Amino acid sequence: MTSAPDAAAAPPEAPQPAGPPLPATNASWRERLALDGWGGLTLPLVAFLLVVFVAPLAIIFSRSFTDPTLGLDNYRAFFGSPVYLNVLVNTFVTALLVTGVTLLIGYPYAYLMTLASPLWRSVLLVVVLVPFWTSLLVRSFALVLLLGNTGVINQTLLAWGVIDEPVALMRNFTGVVIGMVQVLLPFLVLPLYASMRSIDLRLVQAAEGLGASPAFAFWRIFVPLTIPGAAAGLLLVFIQSLGFYITPALLGGPGNIMLGELIVQQVSAVLRWGFAAALAAVLLVTTMVLLALVNRFVDLRRHLGVSR
Amino acid sequence: MAALSLAATACGGSDDAEGGSAEPAAADEATDLTVVMWGGEDQEMTVDALVMPWAEEQDVEIRQDSPSDYAKIRAQVESERVTWGAVEVEPNFAHTACENGWATPIDFDVVDVSAIDEQFVDDCAVPILEYAFTIAYNTETFPTGEHPTSWAEFFDTEAFPGQRGFWRYATGAMFEAALLADGVAPDELYPLDIDRAFAKLDSIKDDIVFYDTGQEQVQLVSSGEVPLIQAWNGRIFEAAEAGQPVANEWNEHLLSYDQLIIPQGYPNTELAQEWMDWFLNNPQAQADYANASAYAPVNEAAMEFIDDDVAIELPTHPDNAAQRASVMDYRYWSEHYDPVSERLNEWMAAG
Repeated sequence: MTSAPDAAAAPPEAPQPAGPPLPATNASWRERLALDGWGGLTLPLVAFLLVVFVAPLAIIFSRSFTDPTLGLDNYRAFFGSPVYLNVLVNTFVTALLVTGVTLLIGYPYAYLMTLASPLWRSVLLVVVLVPFWTSLLVRSFALVLLLGNTGVINQTLLAWGVIDEPVALMRNFTGVVIGMVQVLLPFLVLPLYASMRSIDLRLVQAAEGLGASPAFAFWRIFVPLTIPGAAAGLLLVFIQSLGFYITPALLGGPGNIMLGELIVQQVSAVLRWGFAAALAAVLLVTTMVLLALVNRFVDLRRHLGVSR
Repeated sequence: MAALSLAATACGGSDDAEGGSAEPAAADEATDLTVVMWGGEDQEMTVDALVMPWAEEQDVEIRQDSPSDYAKIRAQVESERVTWGAVEVEPNFAHTACENGWATPIDFDVVDVSAIDEQFVDDCAVPILEYAFTIAYNTETFPTGEHPTSWAEFFDTEAFPGQRGFWRYATGAMFEAALLADGVAPDELYPLDIDRAFAKLDSIKDDIVFYDTGQEQVQLVSSGEVPLIQAWNGRIFEAAEAGQPVANEWNEHLLSYDQLIIPQGYPNTELAQEWMDWFLNNPQAQADYANASAYAPVNEAAMEFIDDDVAIELPTHPDNAAQRASVMDYRYWSEHYDPVSERLNEWMAAG
């Protein structure tokens, strides 16, 4: 994680968080892009990105206006139907909720990792990493076997007499959230753990030495220092959630369809590529707008360690 | 092209040395054929029985890819880089692809289809197998004899409680099943009354579970999670053979079939058609495939080579054929697939 060194550099800047515009804003584009003699070395990379990322994106974007007819028909079809808007809303609500639950579980987990002895730390790390390396499809199928009405969890609870009839753990919103959190947890835990490890715990000790209670010291000293790692992890989780389709398709019900699923269907089953491109464009633009909004309230650039 | 094929065969092995250089594809173009099917065990069985005996006889190198992907077919044709030869597709797509110029019209002078039921043959497509959408059930939840035996009973959640499975796909026969359940006469199914079908589906919406793949289908019904499912007869047969508590009910089954098309612009179209001609007129090869898969041959003559215990699991067995409701009308579906899919999406997303 690139944020680790920057996180260490962050504290000196902390006293003036939301200050006046940074001087960099007035600098010429040359300075802003740091294009000195060595900066030229990045040109091949820029060219690479243009060819494999920007150009395809432009093609897809333009396709949404030209296939099958020239004009805004694809967008009209999307915004004209309450069902598609519902899917869009459902996509963002699901992503937000998944991100929230991931934070609730991931933060204490990462904190536990910093406190644990080296042996337990490795155990905790392996527990996060092994699923991380396993195919998404396999993990989703495994969850199907666990969560179904005749699955392991329900059968066990029934056998113990805890419940009388199976609890609906999948083919609904619960299933989608459980599945996506399970898949996405490592993306939060790993950056968070990296940033927590780089924190000098003597700062917390110093605060306690000056009379702060442990809870107060944790909340005022430790938590703010973990924000860059948490922000990086939360963004990773949120953005990835938006594009999920395998897990919701397997663990959700018909009403939990997400935009990614709709796009796949339009591309490979219905072959309405223009409409699929429009769906993708809507998802991309809405995500950008949302990030811009968040950026107005939270300085993402600083928390992600991008600013200088 | 002929000259090239001669050159390639004449040079034989010595050609390989050059093969890795500039245009490897061009060198052995005339002697290789790419077949694309749905993948998995079924593809292995198909290739073993229907492709390899011919390839060895003709000294053709077979390449495989999977699964069939309509988006890839369209992309290959539009970009004029066609690497897929014979591709297994659903008949409604075969028809659409033919109309849009994505598939090559079959040269029926090369491919002899006189032994094949003509309702399964299209301008750009020949059939490769027949299968049935059956009522499959879990034999532990519903012992044989007490299971639903008609679509009306399949839709009766009071008499037969539990969830029902359908393929999440407009042409997956769920509309046909709903209409049959609602009392539409089998010979008046098409054109489908989609409004009426949705109304019938609405009545059991909360109990419907959709699956996307064959693995999911088998997992749902054999675990008892979804004890009743509209299934592909071959998958259920395989699962039953493997000891799972599942069985097919043949009454009111809907007969379906898969077809092969050749994407427009494939360099070895001629070779692909020669293979089609071979397997369509080789009952023994088709019987071998049927024995392995429990999917029915498209050439009637193959039935006599099929094992007795497999034959009774085929939709073309006289006992089963007598219980057939209808044959899927893919001409109807090629015209109505897009709007009905759209409506199905909306219906599902409406929760």
